[in-house]
Amino acid sequence: MNFTIPTPAILPGSSGASRTADTRRRKLKASKIISWVIISLVLVLQVYPFLWLLLTSVRTADDFAANSAFGLPHSFTLSNFTRAISEGQLGTNILNSFIVTAASCLLIVVCGMTGAYAIQVLDFKGSKLVRGLFLMGIVVPVQVALVPLFIDYSKIHLLDTYQSMVIPLAGFALPMALYLFISFFSYIPRSIYEAASMDGANPYRVFFSITLPMSMNTIITVVMVNAIFIWNDFIFANTFVLTDGLKTIPLGLQNYIGAMGKTDWTATFAAVSITVTPLLLVFLVLNKAMIYGLESGATKG
Amino acid sequence: MLPQRSRLSVVLFLLPALLLFGGGVLLPIIQSLVLSFFSWDGISDMTFVGLQNYQRLLGGDAIFWTAFRNQWGYLVTCILLQMGGGLLLACLLMTITRGREIIKVLYLMPAVISTTAIALLFQRIYSFDPAGLLNSVLKSIGLGGLARPWLSDLHTVLTAVSIPEGWRFLGLYTILLYAALLSVPQELEEAARLDGANAWKVFTTVRFPHIKPVWATTLIMATTYALRGFDVPYLLTNGGPGQASELVTTYMYKTAFTSTDYGYASSIAVFIVLECLVAVGAIIALTRREAD
Amino acid sequence: MKRSEFLGLMAAAALAPSLSACGGKSAEPTAASSAGVAVSGDIKPREISWLLSRPANGAVIQAMTQIAKDYAQQQPGFSLKLITTPDRPSYLQKFQTLAAANQLPELFDTDATPYAQKLAKQGRMVDVKALLDDFGMTDDFRPAALDYQRFDDGSLYMIPLEFGIELFWYNKALLSKAGVEVPETLADFVTASTSLRQAGITPIALDGKDGWTLERYIAYYPFRLSGKEYVTKLKQGQATFAEDTGRAAVQWIKDLADAEAFQDGFSSAGYTDAQNLFTSGKAAMYNMGTWELQSLATEALPASMRDNIGYFTLPTVDGAKTASNEYTAPSGIGAAVNASTFDALVKDFLKYALTVYPKLYAKGGLPGPTTEAPVMPANALPIYKQALADADKVGSTALMPWDTQLDPTSNTLLQQELTLLAQGNLGVDEFIKTMDQAIATNAKKYFN
Repeated sequence: MNFTIPTPAILPGSSGASRTADTRRRKLKASKIISWVIISLVLVLQVYPFLWLLLTSVRTADDFAANSAFGLPHSFTLSNFTRAISEGQLGTNILNSFIVTAASCLLIVVCGMTGAYAIQVLDFKGSKLVRGLFLMGIVVPVQVALVPLFIDYSKIHLLDTYQSMVIPLAGFALPMALYLFISFFSYIPRSIYEAASMDGANPYRVFFSITLPMSMNTIITVVMVNAIFIWNDFIFANTFVLTDGLKTIPLGLQNYIGAMGKTDWTATFAAVSITVTPLLLVFLVLNKAMIYGLESGATKG
Repeated sequence: MLPQRSRLSVVLFLLPALLLFGGGVLLPIIQSLVLSFFSWDGISDMTFVGLQNYQRLLGGDAIFWTAFRNQWGYLVTCILLQMGGGLLLACLLMTITRGREIIKVLYLMPAVISTTAIALLFQRIYSFDPAGLLNSVLKSIGLGGLARPWLSDLHTVLTAVSIPEGWRFLGLYTILLYAALLSVPQELEEAARLDGANAWKVFTTVRFPHIKPVWATTLIMATTYALRGFDVPYLLTNGGPGQASELVTTYMYKTAFTSTDYGYASSIAVFIVLECLVAVGAIIALTRREAD
Repeated sequence: MKRSEFLGLMAAAALAPSLSACGGKSAEPTAASSAGVAVSGDIKPREISWLLSRPANGAVIQAMTQIAKDYAQQQPGFSLKLITTPDRPSYLQKFQTLAAANQLPELFDTDATPYAQKLAKQGRMVDVKALLDDFGMTDDFRPAALDYQRFDDGSLYMIPLEFGIELFWYNKALLSKAGVEVPETLADFVTASTSLRQAGITPIALDGKDGWTLERYIAYYPFRLSGKEYVTKLKQGQATFAEDTGRAAVQWIKDLADAEAFQDGFSSAGYTDAQNLFTSGKAAMYNMGTWELQSLATEALPASMRDNIGYFTLPTVDGAKTASNEYTAPSGIGAAVNASTFDALVKDFLKYALTVYPKLYAKGGLPGPTTEAPVMPANALPIYKQALADADKVGSTALMPWDTQLDPTSNTLLQQELTLLAQGNLGVDEFIKTMDQAIATNAKKYFN
């Protein structure tokens, strides 16, 4: 079984000469220009906000208040960053976000993969039912769970811990991950398993020697998609965390809100710029692996 | 399927997922379901009210039904942007050769910015006094007549709060669909072209049928996320003006945490779950039937 | 059904008996604990927590951090954990979930809302009136600061830690450019707005996103016409918007809408946006409390505004029942004391804290809850001193903000409908009908 992504598509129409090759080439050229225009336009839409964020974080508060919020700043200052760092605990926030995101992703991958393996590969009696149960979880809005979970956690003394964030975050992300793993596993031909079983491999060995190594792409997909959502989670963190030392980035950003809702926006933007950087770096460094994972995860799963 | 599996191995493999799901999701959902038959403000004793919450939901609550309609409007905008826009961009990406890798990463950038910042950004984009980006652009291209406070105008606010959500994950869906397009066998496309099919024909007869399973999965993803969509509208307008951008989710949140009416909020939650189940069921049924 | 029984039931339903088995700790509060403020036993230092909704580096938290440090010197082993969530909706969510789980800490912030009154009635909060009497401090507080924290029956369960008055700030240059005088009656706002609009000036900057700002406006007419009486009746469903006082209030908002008094798109403008609109000289008037003195009456103000800024207090109406020095004078969100964790330590700490707090807080330059005079900041404009003087002269009947008065469901709806009314999307009669119906349905859950 070949699990590499298909080689990039050859330009449509670049082979197969025909009578109309000339007009087609001209048409192609026009359509290619249109493609580029649209792609670039969307690119601006996707990237501009980030630039705006950075530019705003170096403006003075008066400039931000008085002049158009867009376009180039009329001033330059790094004091927003000084304020952002001194007023908040950005280092702690970033570390906490990393811990929560990493722990949740680990849990999602482990549970998702083993669960999908049991349902799809081991295919026990009643596996359809169990699958249905999990799939139902895809559609549950997280807000439903807040009050019951809070009461449950307070009973078993889980409030104000990393676990109190990780469990619901991972739990609510699990169904989608499970779904992706199940559909990926369904692409692995039976014959591989049958051959392995013939050689006397038990389910554990099959899992570790066949399924796990083959799933790397799907794992990357699951991790990247979930990391984005978990990194930005506000609702669980706000409900279950009380201590400053456990606050994640979205909670930390709230420290810039002042009396009656007045907000130090330029400092907030400086803080946002700082907090976005780690995830962005991960993105840029891992971009090949991630895109590759997303793509092969999508096609094979 | 696996011949040598034992009961124990099934249990061992299934257990972590069941524990996590059971404790983190299923238990609170069941508690919520139970709660939906009670009237409870969180601090007084609970009283059993039977189906009263559901009667109020289905019968008399005009705000709920406004929110319900809005949620579908929100869904349509998000789906159009994410699935329609995503597919279009994915197709366009297929036609270019250089810079694809970097473009894909850059498309994903909005997804990493926290919602708070996104809400703030769009508040400035839509702003009227002082003129925000959108209104400034409209004025500069001579369409100043169209300028308006987008988030205050009852006719535009719902679309205006839907766009940020659609926009931020556009890159994600583009990449998923692009990947699917890459897997379409070249021979099939070439064959169709040699038969004289134009680009559109190639798309409808070869490409789209081939990527349909992926399309269905991503559509389910986008639909359920949109039906659960919450934070951007909550932060941007908090449902206003009036109830013009109130979604079922924001209404549920307010019912629980502003009105402290946990029983009624739970019945709204149960409704959302059922709504999503129906939507997903419909998507699966539709794509299956066409596939047959 | 008791909460504990319910939890057992829910847990059993979910086939997770382990959960109900280990739910021992949450003690039900007893009504008796609020009866007095006497405590038995010695002071045993420990960590106590305070759930706040105040700016992380604001004057209150700075003062309290300092106080806790000093107190820990006297009582080694003591520490104060300050848990703040400045964003109010997020705070309320946290506060209410903690209350539902019976996990409120030793101290917590709340306004004098119907929800807080429920907690007080259940004996979950210590009687602050008795506590302050016990400390012998009642007279140190400004009466207005204490009144703001009281429930309708006059009982007091929250300690005020701030104090301020709400003023209408205005831009002298913009008013004279439009040939407009400072409004003397509420009706003058309407004519002034019309003239300002004709001169191409935005009359009033309003933060419509936060809801409470516009809600102040609907409270003004009834307050001038009837004092506290109207809203006290309205929230219980004993008065309606349809009667004269209510209709006058609604009509005034409608008139403001017709005069386009608020900036276009105000409903999506945030707190900082609205203030910026005013301080950058784009809007003529701005209704804001003295907690913003630092931004409105010091050299922090853009240079062009410093000579142009002025303020006036709430204008009156014909046949007003309240005096001109009576208007909104809030003492901020109050600090409540959890009855179930109230012991010798908490009491002793509070006594110490409240003794030294006024002096420490006064350093921040804002009027405090006691009569201790604030220290003027070095960069204050003359108008700063004037505002402080007015804060000291405020009358005995204060306007209670409606967002702390109405039941939460009606309040949410009122804020939404008001926005529509002020935007001109809704007529007076429709508004009255919707609101009267809502209050009739929802009030009984909180007031009976």
